[in-house]
Amino acid sequence: MLELSSQREQASSEKAIVAEHLCKVFNTTKGFLRRKKTQVVAVKDVSFEVDYGELFGLVGPNGAGKTTTIKLLTTMLIPTSGKATVLGYNVEKDVTKVRERIGIVLGGERGLYTRVTAIDNMRYFADLYGVPVSIRDKRIKELLQFMGLWDRAKDRVETYSKGMKQRLHVARGLINDPKLIFMDEPTIGLDPEIAKETRNMIRELVEKGKTILLTTHYMFEADELCKRVGVIRNGDIVALDTPSGLKKYVMDTSVVEIEGFGITEKEVARFKEVHEVLAVSADLSENKQVLKIQTPKGSEIISEVQEILKNSRIYDLKIKEPTLEDAYLRLVEGSVKEGSAR
Amino acid sequence: MPQTLRVIYSAFRLSMLHWIADPQWVIPNVIAPFVFTFVALTLFKEASASFGLYAVLGGGMMGMWGNTLYSSGFAIEFEKWQGTLEEVVAAPSNLLHVIAGRSVSNALFGLTNMVAILLIASLVFRVPLGIANPILFALSMVLTLLSVSALGLIFASSFVLTRSANVLTNGLEFPIYVVSGSMFPIALLPLWTHPASYILGPTWGIEAIRTAAGQANVSLTFWMDVGVMLLITLAYVAIAAFLFKKVETKSRRDGTLVEA
Repeated sequence: MLELSSQREQASSEKAIVAEHLCKVFNTTKGFLRRKKTQVVAVKDVSFEVDYGELFGLVGPNGAGKTTTIKLLTTMLIPTSGKATVLGYNVEKDVTKVRERIGIVLGGERGLYTRVTAIDNMRYFADLYGVPVSIRDKRIKELLQFMGLWDRAKDRVETYSKGMKQRLHVARGLINDPKLIFMDEPTIGLDPEIAKETRNMIRELVEKGKTILLTTHYMFEADELCKRVGVIRNGDIVALDTPSGLKKYVMDTSVVEIEGFGITEKEVARFKEVHEVLAVSADLSENKQVLKIQTPKGSEIISEVQEILKNSRIYDLKIKEPTLEDAYLRLVEGSVKEGSAR
Repeated sequence: MPQTLRVIYSAFRLSMLHWIADPQWVIPNVIAPFVFTFVALTLFKEASASFGLYAVLGGGMMGMWGNTLYSSGFAIEFEKWQGTLEEVVAAPSNLLHVIAGRSVSNALFGLTNMVAILLIASLVFRVPLGIANPILFALSMVLTLLSVSALGLIFASSFVLTRSANVLTNGLEFPIYVVSGSMFPIALLPLWTHPASYILGPTWGIEAIRTAAGQANVSLTFWMDVGVMLLITLAYVAIAAFLFKKVETKSRRDGTLVEA
């Protein structure tokens, strides 16, 4: 069985992560003769704290600043302003101390040396992290067994399935027995079964006392795993609470869920103009289209729905209690006042 | 093993595993040298036997340098293509040591280029290639390999800053062949180019290699060439360490090393 050190003894600081008004601005230049300088604010003002042993979630749409925040906290980027400490160490000044103590798991199929074996990948990173040679091979074996990869450990990674590659990512992230693990969208692109396995494994790591900062697109995942969730929008944390706390922000609303066919983007846009419609989400890609409308009017809006969708087919219409995903949707669409959501 | 050497060795080992896994290196390292040797020996077939050796060693040196320059410069790009750069950068080890391991591995593969040229010249074209002092020949070859690797490191640092650095490496490939004396003796070059020749480790390395190939009992000049090359190599390492530190900090500030 995997023997990772107990993480509870760590007490060099009261919090595993402290981010204070983190800001990251990228300067880019375009053109050759007439150089045009532009500034991109990736992270505007991010502040939060994470306790030891906590699984903290950071959610937000693409380009909101989740990955930049992770890269600032893992020392890969230097903040333009603000400061952060990780395990009590300053991310700007104590770079090596932070790097030695954290693990990073980035999602996706890339990020592995696919032409060599899983053991070679693990051994390389064990050496980069200075894992003592006396325990290196034992730890590699334990981690690959823990991830169910030991039987294929001597095969080239290019022969692995997506799920196996993701498990190898996680195994590598644990090679230095880190106290704190940063996971950037660890279940992205995985089929439901493998994603569930990955979530179970994440839970197991928290049970072993690891602290985890997780970014995800999937609200149900944040709801299922995280003790607290920060919602990031346009480089700013617009809400930070427990999943049930976040749901309270939309308790004043109902969700009208419509399943239909032939619904157009134009019709979806019309819903956004209806008074007292707070947020609209639509999945129009499949034959069975799903439209969700958040409104305090509840069933009173049905006549308006029927009027707007008179040229489309409605299979089903339900009035539902809002979920964390609905709260997220409203937060990222900006219809919850930022101050009130903190 | 000290951590620095462990990281260099590990990066070297991984790079070698990639070379083995991806045998396309056979094309630049065996076929291209064959063509080069054929052209050089055809052009100089009337020249003396010693000139044949001169041309063959020069060609080998060019192969080694070309391989190192290209591969070391692209060491950072390789990590970007694999998507592993972020994981490597986020590790506590010094990026310079990782690239150094790769650079040595690349130079070693470049050496296969030289070996291929020697074998092709000897076995196919029957050029007499008696090495007068094989031990010092091998020693000067290994030290030149390290010097070339160290020079590759300096170029690798430019790739930390920008992917356009390949313009720099591509543009410098041929000038360095010329000023290092790989193609012909630097005495034939204009005087104003000599300072550029003397600050290149490979210039002294190729001189030492040729001396060891031609003389059984080498003179003090051989050891001076080796000594100067070692000093220049140490200077390259110091410059590369300085540049890596600077460009790494700058890239963490500008976000040029990792995607945000």
